[in-house]
Amino acid sequence: MSVVQVKGKDVELDEDGFLVNPEDWNDDMVAYFASQEDVTELTENHWKVINYLRDYFKKFGAAPMVRKVCKDTGFSMQEIYELFPSGPAKGACKLAGLPKPTGCV
Amino acid sequence: MKKTTRRVPIKDFGSATDVLSPLEPGDIELIHGEDKPPKFREMKPETKEKYDFSLDGISALNLPIPKTKEEEEAIVNGFLRGIEKLFQKENNWTFLMPTTLSNEYCMQCNTCNEACPIYTESGRMDIYKPNYRPEVLRRIIKRYFSKSGKLLRKWAGADLDLNWRVVYRLAELVYRCSLCRRCASVCPIGVDNALISRELRKVFSQEMGIAPENVHKSGTVQHMKTGSTTGMTSASFKDNIEFIEDMIEEKIGRRITIPVDKKDADILLLHNAGEYMAWPENPAAFAILFEAAGLSWTLSSEQMGYEGVNYGVWYDDVQFARIAFAQIQAAKNLGVKKIVIGECGHATKGFITIADRVLVGDAAIPREACLPLLEQIVLSGKIKFDPMKNNFPVTLHDPCNMVRLMGIISPQRNILKHIMPEGQFREMPDAGTNNYCCGGGSGFAIMNSQNFPDWRNNVACRMKARQVLEAFKDVLDPSIPKYYCAPCSNCKGAARDSMMEHFGFRKKYNIIYGGLVELMVNAMVDIPKPFISWEEEF
Repeated sequence: MSVVQVKGKDVELDEDGFLVNPEDWNDDMVAYFASQEDVTELTENHWKVINYLRDYFKKFGAAPMVRKVCKDTGFSMQEIYELFPSGPAKGACKLAGLPKPTGCV
Repeated sequence: MKKTTRRVPIKDFGSATDVLSPLEPGDIELIHGEDKPPKFREMKPETKEKYDFSLDGISALNLPIPKTKEEEEAIVNGFLRGIEKLFQKENNWTFLMPTTLSNEYCMQCNTCNEACPIYTESGRMDIYKPNYRPEVLRRIIKRYFSKSGKLLRKWAGADLDLNWRVVYRLAELVYRCSLCRRCASVCPIGVDNALISRELRKVFSQEMGIAPENVHKSGTVQHMKTGSTTGMTSASFKDNIEFIEDMIEEKIGRRITIPVDKKDADILLLHNAGEYMAWPENPAAFAILFEAAGLSWTLSSEQMGYEGVNYGVWYDDVQFARIAFAQIQAAKNLGVKKIVIGECGHATKGFITIADRVLVGDAAIPREACLPLLEQIVLSGKIKFDPMKNNFPVTLHDPCNMVRLMGIISPQRNILKHIMPEGQFREMPDAGTNNYCCGGGSGFAIMNSQNFPDWRNNVACRMKARQVLEAFKDVLDPSIPKYYCAPCSNCKGAARDSMMEHFGFRKKYNIIYGGLVELMVNAMVDIPKPFISWEEEF
């Protein structure tokens, strides 16, 4: 567990840098995570994935299947990796403020 | 035989050195295609000041270094309390007898050493010998729990004094053993040194609250809370099943309905939840086969009814029992005749063998591995297979828990005989009960703290990578597509992270990985398009 200061506010992160408290998520946090995950510029395409993940999480209380993310956003796996270099789980979910993906995945 | 390197006398196990036995990348034997020693990430000085890296320079557990004398004493006392309980029947209701016997009878003959892939692939580091950690335990027991040890100390062979370093180093060291039990299978007198690792993990978890975060907090704790280790809820499970039905329709040109919550079915099929998230073609292939074979089966959408694995198997009897009871309740609620475990080695071991200790009376619903059932489907002739549809080289991984522990060896091979053309299936060296761990066993595949992933990829997974290259050595040319068949979720995770991403086998050699059921469906006559593809499909 660590605490980082983002725009003057203390935010708790877990050992892999994911948000501990989902209510801490905001645009500033997305920008902070982007800088940590080698995302140089946040584009409309990034937001499309981020918003999709957040909507899904709101509805089902869990992260979607990786294939579903691709299918519903229209991005291939390779394009997702281009947008989020550490991948859909470690990268995109982090920016979207979802809990860290766990289990045998 | 090659010699043990970097000897560390057991009496020095608690010495105040920074790192007791640093892992030396130069000692590691390279695999084909590797041209320089493996890399281990450098940890920041502030991280090294905060967490304990003092065993081998690796941290699997994020143990914070104690700051006061009181904290140091609490570590030692907690550990001694746990060791005492380990040998009491009231406190060790699972493995008391085999633990006691293995602890008492090891003669330190070292026969097990060469059987251990972690020892050999590390460059034969002394501390990684399968009989090293049990000997540390034995000296502690001698020193603190025997009369002669208390009085005579080193003259009675009790020369290791406890301090926090001994305890923390031993905690890390039991997470350098993947519990594959290859050491136990070669021991001339049947001592099970891997069991000692597992039982020590139990002491650390149950008595001291020490366990890898992904195994405990986001593992068993999350499993009890959400119904699965991936955090998949009942609602998202149902959504995933719908998605898999769509996927099947796209792949085979026909929609099938996957039975969910069907009362009084013969079989409740339990997959590792990771399959839904990462490898949905596996549950899809099971559904296609079971439907085609006309089985009476169902999945469960009840919380605790859709996750087959039980991480308690690796480290904690209490967590194990809680999960096993909840899983069996979900099966009882549906009134199924038996439970079949999908392609997951730890779920198979946990639910079929260890759970026998806790699922008694009306909780003793029959539980079976999937491989013999899949063999029956093939032999029944209900599904037509065309072996020529699998006309590419395939090698088979033997998951330790299904094969070495439970002796399920021939079903998967009989299946392959029926669905592969002659000459394309090749066994890897040491196939069968003598096979090596994927490198991800016992939680390694999901443990990602600090520099542990580097250790997993470079040391624990190295032997499997070596075996796979050997099995495919005549067809390494990337123009020939190849399939590494690993019928276990955990082994697939290790294959992806280590073999594919770390060693680059997909890019270099065009090797892909997957389960057994995918290969079966790929050979089905009734399905026009290939089920397996070497292209990125999505």
